[in-house]
Amino acid sequence: MAKLGMVIDLKRCVGCYGCVTSCKAENGTPPRVFWSRVLEREEGKYPSARRLFVPVLCNHCAEPACETACPTHATYRTEDGIVRIDENKCIGCRACMAACPYGARFYLKEERQYYTQEATPFEKLLYKKHQIGTVQKCEFCYERTQKGLEPACVLTCIAHARYFGDLDDPDSEVSRLLKQRYAFKLRPEMGTEPKVIYLS
Amino acid sequence: MVIDSKVQGKTSTVGKEEDVWIHSACDLCNANCGIRVHRVNGVVIKIEGDPNCPGSLGTICARGNAGLIALYDPNRLKTPVKRTNPEKGIGVDPKWQPISWDEGLNIVAGKLKEIRKDNPNGLLLCTFDTPVIAQVYLNWAAAFGTVNTMGSSYNCGSGIHPLTYLINGTFQQEVDLDYCNYLILTGSQYGFTAGVNIPITAQKMADARMRGMKVVVIDPVCTNAASKADEWIPIRPGTDGMLALAMLNVMINELKTYDAEYLKKYTNAPYLLNAGGDYVRDGKTNKPLVWDVKEGKAKPFDAKANDCALAGEYTVDGQKCKPAFDVMAEHFKQFTPEEAARITTVPAKTIRRISKEFVDAAKIGSEIEIDGHKLPYRPAAVHAFKGVIAHAHATISGLPFILLNLVVGSMYVPGGYRGTNLVGPSSSWTADVEADGMIVPPPTQSFQGENYYTHEIGNKDTADLKNMMAFSMTGTSVYQLCLMHPDRFKTMTKPCDPKMLIEARSNLLMNCENFADTVQFLKSIPFIVCMDTEINETSEFADVVFPDTYYLERLNIFPNRMRINISPASNTFYWGIQQPVVEPAFEARDWKDVLLDLANRAGFLEDLNEIFNIKLGLKEKYKLNTKNVYSYGEIGDRIAKSMFGEEMGLQWFKDNGYYTIKRKVEESYPMPFINVRIPVYFEVIKRRGEEARKVADSLGMKWWDTSDYLPIPVFKPCPAYAEKEQNPNSEFSFITVNYKVPMHYHTVTTKNPWLNEVAERHPYAYKIMINSVPAKKLGIKDGDMIWVESKAGKVKGRAKVTECIHIDAVGIAGGFGSWSKHKPIGKGKGVNFNSLLSLTPAHVDWISTAVDGCALVKVYKAEE
Repeated sequence: MAKLGMVIDLKRCVGCYGCVTSCKAENGTPPRVFWSRVLEREEGKYPSARRLFVPVLCNHCAEPACETACPTHATYRTEDGIVRIDENKCIGCRACMAACPYGARFYLKEERQYYTQEATPFEKLLYKKHQIGTVQKCEFCYERTQKGLEPACVLTCIAHARYFGDLDDPDSEVSRLLKQRYAFKLRPEMGTEPKVIYLS
Repeated sequence: MVIDSKVQGKTSTVGKEEDVWIHSACDLCNANCGIRVHRVNGVVIKIEGDPNCPGSLGTICARGNAGLIALYDPNRLKTPVKRTNPEKGIGVDPKWQPISWDEGLNIVAGKLKEIRKDNPNGLLLCTFDTPVIAQVYLNWAAAFGTVNTMGSSYNCGSGIHPLTYLINGTFQQEVDLDYCNYLILTGSQYGFTAGVNIPITAQKMADARMRGMKVVVIDPVCTNAASKADEWIPIRPGTDGMLALAMLNVMINELKTYDAEYLKKYTNAPYLLNAGGDYVRDGKTNKPLVWDVKEGKAKPFDAKANDCALAGEYTVDGQKCKPAFDVMAEHFKQFTPEEAARITTVPAKTIRRISKEFVDAAKIGSEIEIDGHKLPYRPAAVHAFKGVIAHAHATISGLPFILLNLVVGSMYVPGGYRGTNLVGPSSSWTADVEADGMIVPPPTQSFQGENYYTHEIGNKDTADLKNMMAFSMTGTSVYQLCLMHPDRFKTMTKPCDPKMLIEARSNLLMNCENFADTVQFLKSIPFIVCMDTEINETSEFADVVFPDTYYLERLNIFPNRMRINISPASNTFYWGIQQPVVEPAFEARDWKDVLLDLANRAGFLEDLNEIFNIKLGLKEKYKLNTKNVYSYGEIGDRIAKSMFGEEMGLQWFKDNGYYTIKRKVEESYPMPFINVRIPVYFEVIKRRGEEARKVADSLGMKWWDTSDYLPIPVFKPCPAYAEKEQNPNSEFSFITVNYKVPMHYHTVTTKNPWLNEVAERHPYAYKIMINSVPAKKLGIKDGDMIWVESKAGKVKGRAKVTECIHIDAVGIAGGFGSWSKHKPIGKGKGVNFNSLLSLTPAHVDWISTAVDGCALVKVYKAEE
């Protein structure tokens, strides 16, 4: 089976937040829930300073700490290595959130909507996907990727900084990029073996 | 790239479920990138970049992705309303009364009839709805008979477009990212999160950087572009022009490196000037002369010269003269890197280094072969935008940056700087040329027939605001000044005395500088009609407000216009459509159709149809019967068929999305193929300034400022900088800078809850940037509430103490700080930059009418 992963080229990324809003639209995540985020920080002292942009999402770890922490086996890995949550098994204990070194998980405490008056027709439709009292996160756009499509954040990236594919296939674009460039993973010391890999 | 198997525009019927992707165009900035919209059972669930659109190629930015949520904004205006409280002011309840469309339209049409009969110039029009301007808005204004049309004010490129028209013959400017190796961006985020088509330019920019193109960003703020560049050079706000002048001096006088061949062949650099700075002309033909070095005599510029001089002194018909380039070289000597360093804070050695890097990268003299054509190869360019021209002296601040490209011969050749669409597909249009050989925008590229060489400056009897300013495009700031200081303008034939303002999709109040002044302006207009999706800050001053459609409910044929937003980076020309994806919500109507309806009710539809027949390029077969009433859709269909034939009307574009033609070499790199010259010596600015001066004096308007109308730019500090120099110890010690964040565009996106949420979590967007060094001195910590106070106003916000801003600057992003209760998402978010600005004659560029963004401010802690 494939080992699906993502490569994010930090040199190409311009910090536009397209990945963040495309994820909102694709997955209909409620307010304050961001499966896809951009971390920003400053580096250096004026005048030799600059801002760094690091887009983050669930790392779909090969050794996921969240899976180990889950008491009900709601968190599981698909054959392709996508880390998913079975909402019917999730009891909302949030042990996985404490275990995840990346802050990639969100607990849906209550119903929330973007306009105070009422949920929009979009929200009424998409929020059905999100069960209150459960934990949620990026699933590499499971419905899309099962159809052979790229995740929404990869498709939308204006700078073509994101790549999705089979890390086990030596001929895939992601494998090729990893061979050519210096690559790193976030918090490797945690031993989680992330499958979202960064090029610098 | 894998594309969804559901075919564009075709409905797939799984059971009885509707599931359809529809071609359209985005509207969350004026790039109008191609999108495809996913609708399921009548609900829009996704927007993606349209892979058929060469400007987006299947990608779309943060704003484009977020567009769908605001379609369902429950705060939208639902019906037409009229004011019942005659008192107007910020926070004064207009006591809106819902009315029917018929009632509203009849009220407005009745007033239009009266004004048109009395003096049509009593109608003032304002919009920033860019796809509508050329097709409907300006034609409607002409049919009504008013010359008073405005765009947006502070938040637009009002200062840059006159320059690009003058120099590259188009509305916009770009860089050939396919070949460029060294790029300087100044006050610009082109190719990162801003530009003509952000998706395609961001992709090409990333490709160019990966293959080793060096990017240097000069900006007071370490923007997204600066953060990704090889080098960020912080500069004191408002001093950019000085930096460019010093670079010109280094290149021409110190390094003595410039593209002499390009300057001789393609510019007016060799034109001979007399001691007064005017062209020396041929006695017979009146053509400007150049000096033929081999024959040792002067010849008309278009006669065959063996080699024309760029330097030296000559005598023609008894008068001494010099080539323009010689005069320029001498003039630039005064702008030393040392003096520039004092003013800009960019070290002299940095100025010398980047000048050297730039000329070296340009590979002057080199050639490249593309598709069988041997072309000059100049892989170096400078792209200057809003930041450079947000000054009282916008024109003379921006010109020297564009000159840098011309001095190394990089304009309109591979690797260099270029306008957008100077030459059309299959050369269906090309640059026009005026009598002295200079470039003039082709009609397809011009906005209101820009031709600075023939623009008629009014005489004593005909002078009005528009014709006094040969180079201005929108003039919004001067209209405001005219209403605020009527005594100053009273000797003009068409003084501003508006009886009515129709404002659509521009939110004038939020986009103009200084609320107090703009409120005064709005209150001086007896009747105001607004059209927008909600009651905004401006429509709070309206007498009638009509609910407009959202872009996902709207039709626009060819919103990607050759003039504005078809990027040559796509290496194509393309035509697409913005089409309704859902029915308009509530009683919303597209404001274009409202204009057509009003023309009918006010009795000038025949005039409008006649103008449409001429201006829309309708072929005989598709001309309108002037007596008939047409919808915008019917007119759009005729526009499409006139351009592409019977088979390719509106429906074809609805079904197929984009029609694309590949760009040929001569369309991408026109310089070697066209017979025009580019001005490097701005004789036309000098001449038009002298004419305007005479008229202004004859009207007793001594105050009318023509001192910037110079043939060679100089550095003039904006008022804030001059004041800072005079009072170095004043607590008013910071200069403001406004910059762009990627999730927002002007003021329109703040009502979008997704974009607002992203901005709220963003480290800078809604905060006030202040450098850590002065912050420490003032005892300001990151996250503290602070006041920023100028002479014009003060604003409060959270401090972002940062390393990423110039030490003398205070940075405030976007057009934020809305207060309309009908925009609860954006209300009170961020800091309103424009409140700090002054609108006085000293703060306006009297060439372009751009307004100064540099306010001298003091910063102090506020109560939590």
